[in-house]
Amino acid sequence: MLECGARREHPDLKQLVIEASRALAQLDASRLEELALSCQALNQTLGASGAESRSGLAIQARKARGDMAVFARILEATRCNLGVINRLRELRAGRLEYGERPAHGWAPAEIRHGDN
Amino acid sequence: MGTISSAFGLISGALDADQSALSIVANNVANANTPGYTEETPNWQENSPVTIGGVSYGSGVTETGATSVRDRVLEGRLDQQQQLASASSARLTALNGVQALFTPDSGSSTATAGDIGSDITSLFSSFSSLEADPTNISLREEVLSSAKTLAGDVSNAAASLDSQGSALGQQASGVTGQVNSLTTAIAQLNQQIETTSPNTDAGTLEDRRQEDLSQLSQLIGINQVTTENNGLSLTTTSGQLLVSGGSSFELTSGSVGGATHLFVGGTDITFQLASGGGQLGGTLTALNQDIPTALNALNQLAYNLSTSVNALNNAGTDLNGDTGTVTVPLNIFSQPTALAGSAASMSVAMTDPSQIATAALGLGTGNNSNANAMANLSNQSIVNGQTPIDYYSNFVSSLGATVSGVQAENTAENASVTQLQAQNNALSGVNLNDEAAAMSKMENSYQAASQVFTMLNTIMAAALNLGDQTTVS
Repeated sequence: MLECGARREHPDLKQLVIEASRALAQLDASRLEELALSCQALNQTLGASGAESRSGLAIQARKARGDMAVFARILEATRCNLGVINRLRELRAGRLEYGERPAHGWAPAEIRHGDN
Repeated sequence: MGTISSAFGLISGALDADQSALSIVANNVANANTPGYTEETPNWQENSPVTIGGVSYGSGVTETGATSVRDRVLEGRLDQQQQLASASSARLTALNGVQALFTPDSGSSTATAGDIGSDITSLFSSFSSLEADPTNISLREEVLSSAKTLAGDVSNAAASLDSQGSALGQQASGVTGQVNSLTTAIAQLNQQIETTSPNTDAGTLEDRRQEDLSQLSQLIGINQVTTENNGLSLTTTSGQLLVSGGSSFELTSGSVGGATHLFVGGTDITFQLASGGGQLGGTLTALNQDIPTALNALNQLAYNLSTSVNALNNAGTDLNGDTGTVTVPLNIFSQPTALAGSAASMSVAMTDPSQIATAALGLGTGNNSNANAMANLSNQSIVNGQTPIDYYSNFVSSLGATVSGVQAENTAENASVTQLQAQNNALSGVNLNDEAAAMSKMENSYQAASQVFTMLNTIMAAALNLGDQTTVS
């Protein structure tokens, strides 16, 4: 446990990537937004860090490469899933012309008759 | 129609419609915890208008039944991802078993397949030791002992791979039984759906069919084709018909050349099923691809090592002044006759240590030239263009990379299944989650994850570059 006032130079990159993959799998948008802020802060402090710290981060980056590949695969799968969901939304909204529209409710007469 | 009776008709119709709708809602709530149950929504149909005094009035609505809130596209995508996840999961389990065989057991004194690398080193070290004192019997015994340990570990590894293959074959045969039960059930449901509900959603029947399809997707790669009257045809991903309307076609297993093969109507579809997905796909990939690859590597090592060592031993003179001949060879290892089966049959043929031919021909029994040549085999490319230890190391590394790749695939595919299940539950399940909120959650998650990925990628690239610069300077 870190003492009061002490802070780690960099969070463990491998854990960060694993955490991001897990949050994306569970569609935990809040956690992902927190992680995005953490990464932003890390990115900003990277340039100002010392040589020893940079070397340590390079080692961490090498260790995290495999998990980064997994994260990339999950991101790609999410993109595909999102594509399917978005097309379904379009389909339900009647903007795509696959088959008949479901008969929920009825259209107002003026629209139905096309006389408006 | 009179004004008052029309108004009563309209009101009582509306009450009837509301009552029917309430029944559907009650049914949804009652089935909230039923696995696979899909929420139903009432269908409303506009009644014919009533004309009073030349003026048309609307006459309300009638409830005409329920439609399940299902999305076949989403369910199809979920099934497809489930097939991929199940395949990689089954393959990963099998690969982990193979990898465990080749993991060095540092804490144990018992020889295992994981020690093959150190066994190879020990064998050539024992030749080097013998080179320094070629007439020493205990050093000669040490050579035979090292050879026995290596041969034992290689043949044990081959036997373990063989039994893992048999277990996978049995597993594949077991899965065919489950597949057949499910395809039979789906065919029966098809028949009921087509007969009882040809033009409308069949509600619970379709839920049951979807539940069976979901289970089937975990077992085998399938394609779904919707047919007339809410029917469904199922084929394997390579196109063999499994279900057509009310008929199902049985998947059978049999042995071809000692290996488990699977058939539909007499056609061998083993290799097509391996690439098709589901538990069966993963199991067959491990059975037909991963285990043979590992076994081939072991065979290659055993064959080349045994033949190279034997060839040199037959080219020298032993401690008794004898040289190997075609009829009476001086083989250290049993001479393999073919590449296939070399690992399983690898053993030490020599029992008398004085028969190790340390001397070159014509240089006397105390000479060490041939022992030197045998020790130098460790640095020669005698196994597929590589030294024995390099060949073995590369095989183990390649196996590790395969396991790691399948693990990554499996993690990503399971994540995708988790996401789709969440979406499907929000859409089809009976809960208070709003469908639009679920979609928006997915979009927000994707956008935030994209940001995280981009930043992590930048950080890692920068860290690796900075790290390299640091090490260079």
